[in-house]
Parts: sequence; structure tokens; C-alpha cells
Amino acid sequence: MNTFSRNILSAAVGAIVLVSGGVVYAADTVKIAIVGPITGPVAQYGDMQMIGAQMAVEQINAKGGINGKKLEAVLMDDVCEPKQAVAIANQIINDKIKFVDGHLCSGSTQPASKLYEEEGILMITPAATNPAITQQGYQMVFRTIGTDDQQGPTAGKYIVEKVKPKKLAIIHDKQQYGEGIAKEVKKTVEAAGIKPVLFEGVNKGQTDFSALITKMKKEGVDFVYYGGYHPELGLLLRQSREQGFDAKYMGPEGVGNKDISAIAGPASEGLLVTLPADFSTNPANADLVKAFKDKGQDPSGPFVMPSYSAVQIIADAIQGAKTEDPVKLAAYIHKNSFETPIGKVAFKDNGDLKEFEFVIFEWHADATKTPVK
Amino acid sequence: MSGSPILEFIQQTINGLTLGSIYALIAIGYTMVYGIIGMINFAHGEIYMIGAYVGLLVITALGLFGVDSISLILLITLAISILVTGSYGWVVERLAYRPLRGSPRLVPLISAIGVSIFLQNYVQLGQGARDVSMQPVLAGGWRFGPEDGFQIYLSYMQVLIAVITVVSMTVLTLFISRSRMGRACRACSQDRTMANLLGIDTNRVIALTFVLGAALAAVAGVLVSMYYGLVNPFIGFIAGLKAFTAAVLGGIGSIPGAMLGGVILGLAESFASAYLRTEYKDVVAFVLLIGVLLVRPTGLLGRPDVEKV
Repeated sequence: MNTFSRNILSAAVGAIVLVSGGVVYAADTVKIAIVGPITGPVAQYGDMQMIGAQMAVEQINAKGGINGKKLEAVLMDDVCEPKQAVAIANQIINDKIKFVDGHLCSGSTQPASKLYEEEGILMITPAATNPAITQQGYQMVFRTIGTDDQQGPTAGKYIVEKVKPKKLAIIHDKQQYGEGIAKEVKKTVEAAGIKPVLFEGVNKGQTDFSALITKMKKEGVDFVYYGGYHPELGLLLRQSREQGFDAKYMGPEGVGNKDISAIAGPASEGLLVTLPADFSTNPANADLVKAFKDKGQDPSGPFVMPSYSAVQIIADAIQGAKTEDPVKLAAYIHKNSFETPIGKVAFKDNGDLKEFEFVIFEWHADATKTPVK
Repeated sequence: MSGSPILEFIQQTINGLTLGSIYALIAIGYTMVYGIIGMINFAHGEIYMIGAYVGLLVITALGLFGVDSISLILLITLAISILVTGSYGWVVERLAYRPLRGSPRLVPLISAIGVSIFLQNYVQLGQGARDVSMQPVLAGGWRFGPEDGFQIYLSYMQVLIAVITVVSMTVLTLFISRSRMGRACRACSQDRTMANLLGIDTNRVIALTFVLGAALAAVAGVLVSMYYGLVNPFIGFIAGLKAFTAAVLGGIGSIPGAMLGGVILGLAESFASAYLRTEYKDVVAFVLLIGVLLVRPTGLLGRPDVEKV
């Protein structure tokens, strides 16, 4: 290496040290990491999480921040990959960020939550619904969304009481979230005496479902529950209608996304989806909804308000407990209740919400939804 | 309504053949490159992914211009996609493999993996990491069977896929067996050094191989974006893996072998889903591969050739 390039290199190293040093010392802010899929096949859900969290940060800062400090949102992308989630969690630990709004997918939340618990970082997920996440005996892990053992029975009960299918098939994507909720639905319907004729898993990223569809068509299946996300279900719906297999489909909130209509087109008409109640229609949230709409954002996505609430709970707790120590804050959150856009929330000992309601919606080809009941 | 087992079997065969055609088209690219330079081009799945993106973008653009004749859409899309994807194939060979010619076999392999990662991220940056979807251009099909029972459904798109696959394969086979360039290809495949001594420009032949493989991958890509209507920067990985399996199953280096391997793989997946469980379709496909390789280590139609491993 000659002198010139060595000089350049040392200058560059110096600049990096200066820049990163600047971030660490100059900022007197409370940092919250917002972790979800910013890229990848389910990035649409990440969008909902990000706009909710950013709105909360903005509004809290506009009111003067917390104890005179501004909140700072640090967006991070885990692509909903468990491996990437662990890498991000380590980055958060290294960056000494103490609060996390995330992760989004159950599969990536679970491994990350272990690190947060060990390192004493406060984590509130606005979207991961797999029950196992809060069954690890952790103190630092919360969620502002219901769980699959609430959502599954809601779907299962609807199938048993309203749909009364002659032949039910349950399909899932073999992921923690999809298979987990599919099993909950299976348990509920079996308890009521309906035995699914099929309970099978497809691959994440699979594009051809024709063999499975032919099989369901031959079995005479008239109702399909799908546990998983929208890219696979979208193709499944579209190929089903093409083959002339016209059973009704139902899925969890992971499929309730505008993209399902972009992929499935007219085949998405009539799809049933269990989603958190649409908080954006609650009159108490009118001002907040207006703030979203003024920015051209859509507040009706299922994870927008839970994500907003997650940030708000962290902020309220810091203000209420007058400390930034995550461990003390976790204890405070366990003991108190909070007024948020998703209602008055209080937590169980395991970090789950005491109450959370899932509602069944009927999806339409133009990507709108109407509540059923 | 419970369907007739025979009709179901026919439907599953149709499903499997459609899937198999796509695998076969991609598998050709692996097998041709291997046949000539004895290297596995792990970036081929990404080349196919680029073909699918170009296909989807061109079809969407044509839709905006109001072109609605299906044959016109197909022709223009195929032409543009083959052209663009073929040039990617050429550039990749030129930049990532040619400078490494003559180096130990592992080196171009690593280079190929590098190209694969590069292309994935390149498309991700250029087109976004999200799914891009499109509504079917060619919808509809024929139904056979009893009005009130299980009906076989054969979509126009499935027929189109089969026809285009057969035509592409025939053209390729004719090209390899009849044309001057094809003869040069076969000569290189037998003995590259000797072919070089006899005045064949082997670099040109190798470049041509990459372009031809990429062109067929482009055809597969266009068909996939028309049939499934969903692409993202990651589809190349799984498709590449399956096609590579098909190529090995049929005997890597053999063009008819790649076609056969693709079709067998497609049928195996389809029947495994149908008569076992959907979870087992990949298991069955790979057990089949291992079984065939145990009995015939060179694949179904591969030449016994111990030297190239």
C-alpha cells in the first residue's frame, strides 16, 4: 500500500469514528428500535408497523417528548427471517438501544426475544401472534396484539357455527405463525366434532398449488382454512378458481392485506379474514386517523394502531415510572394499565394483553373489507 | 361429490407436466454449460428470475399501450425477454467466468455463487424486494368430464406452456444437431482442447452456450410470469435448485436428459402431493434423485464419464 492510499484510508477511518462518535454522544434522545420487514415478501406489514410507530414518535415529540427528551425511531429490517432477526437483535444490543417495537413475524420474534430477555431490553411486538412467544417465562417481552389461541378459536367457532362445512380442509405454510394458527383452528373444530378431511403444509415461496387443488377438488372440499401469509394464499386462491374449485377460503390476519387482491384479483372476493377490530373506525381515534390521512397514510391496516400503542406504552411508562431502566419499566408495565388507540390495555404476567378481540371480515376484490356478524 | 380416480389421475398428470415443462426449460441451461465446460453455473436460477421480471414488466407495459392480442403480447414479450436475458447470460460469462478459464474448477464455481448473490441484490435494489404481481393475460380453458362431478380442467396457459416448451426444445435440438455452430458445440463438449486446435473459436462457443441457456431460461421466466403472475427477486433460488435437480436426474450434460429429468420431477411432485401429502413432494423428488444416482451415477441419460465430477 503506498502512502497516498494509506492517508486516504486513515482519513476514512477517522471520518467513520467521528460520525459514529457524533451519533453516540450528541444525541440526548430516547431511542426505540422499530424492527420489522422493510423488504421481502411481507414488507407490506412492516409498512403498517413503521407508519404506526413513526406517527406515535412524532406526536409524542410534538407534545414535548418524554421528560424533556425527544424520542427517536430507529428503523431496522429483519425481512421476517429468523436468522436476520437475531443479527438485528445483536445490533440493537451493541448500539445500546433499550426499547424495541417489534418484531413482526412470529418466526423472527421468538429467537430475538430470547436475546432481549437476556440483555434486559424491553420488547413490545405489535404483530407476532404465536402463543409460544409469551410462554417462555420472560419478563421483558410484551405484545399489543392478540394471540393465535384467541384468533384460532374465533375462526374455528365461526366455521363451526356459521359455515358448517361438509368437508373442511386446513392448509398451512409450515412456518411458526401459519402452522401454529392452523393447529388452533383444527383443535377448535375437532372439539365441535368436525374432522378436517385434509391437514397439510405447503412450502413458503411455493408458486404451484395445482396438485393440492386437484386433490381438494376430488375430495369435494367446500371450505378451506389457510394458515400463513398472503403471497401463497393469493396464488392458491387464483389457481383454485381457475381449476373450477370454488370452495370458500378463510385466513388469519397475515393474509389480510391489499396485495392479496393484487395477486388473486377477482378470486379474493369473499375471502374470510380474522383481523383485530378496525381501530380506525373507533370514534375515539378520529383525530389520530385524521393525522394519518393528512400524511396520505392508511390507518386501517391491522398492525398500525398496535404499533402506535407499543411506542406509546413505552413512552407512558418512562414518564410514569420516571426511569429509563428497561427492567424497572417492564415491572411498571406489568402493574399498570394504559390508554391507547387500541383501547385501555393491561398485561397478563406473561406479557400478553388481558383482552383482545378478533373480528371476522369479508374481503373484496377491490381490497376493501366489511365486518361479518 | 367425490371424483373419479381416473379423471383425477389425468388432472394430476396435466399439473405435473406443466410444472415439469418449466423445470425442463431451466434445466437445459445447467446441462449445456456443464456439457461444454464442465462447470455448474449456479447463477442460472437468477438469470431465469431476470427473464421473469422482464416478462412481467413488458407484459404490463404492453397492457398500458393497449395491446390486447395474445399472440402479439407473447411474441413481443418473448423477443424482448430473450434479448435482455441473453445479454445478461453473455455479460456474466464474459465478466465472471472467462477470466477464470483454466483455473481450478472450484474457482469459477465460487464466482458463479458470487454472481448469483450479486444478481439477486441487484434486482432487489432496482425493482424493490417485494412481490410484483400481475393479473393473467390468458385466462380460461377447457373442461372435460361430467357436469355434476369432477371435471378435468386444462387451461389455455397450460397448453401454451407445453407447446412453447416443445417448440423451444425442438429448435434447440435441431440447432445442436444440424447447424455449423451446433457441431462446434458438440466438438467442444467432446474435447475442448482438440476443438481449439482444429480452429474452432471455443470462447465463442462457450459464450453461445451461456446465451442459449439464458434464452431458454427467459422463455421459462416469461411463461412463469404469465402463468403464476407473481415474481420477486428470490424466485431464482428454488427454481434453480429444482432445475438443477432435474438436470442431474436426467444426466447432467445431456440435453434430452434435462427434458426428461424436468418432466419426471414435475410429475413426481404432482403425484406425491396428490397421493401422499403435500409436505412430501420435495422428499419424494429428492429420494427419486438419490435412487437414480445410486443405480445410474451419471443420471438417466448421462454418458458414463468419470473424469468430470
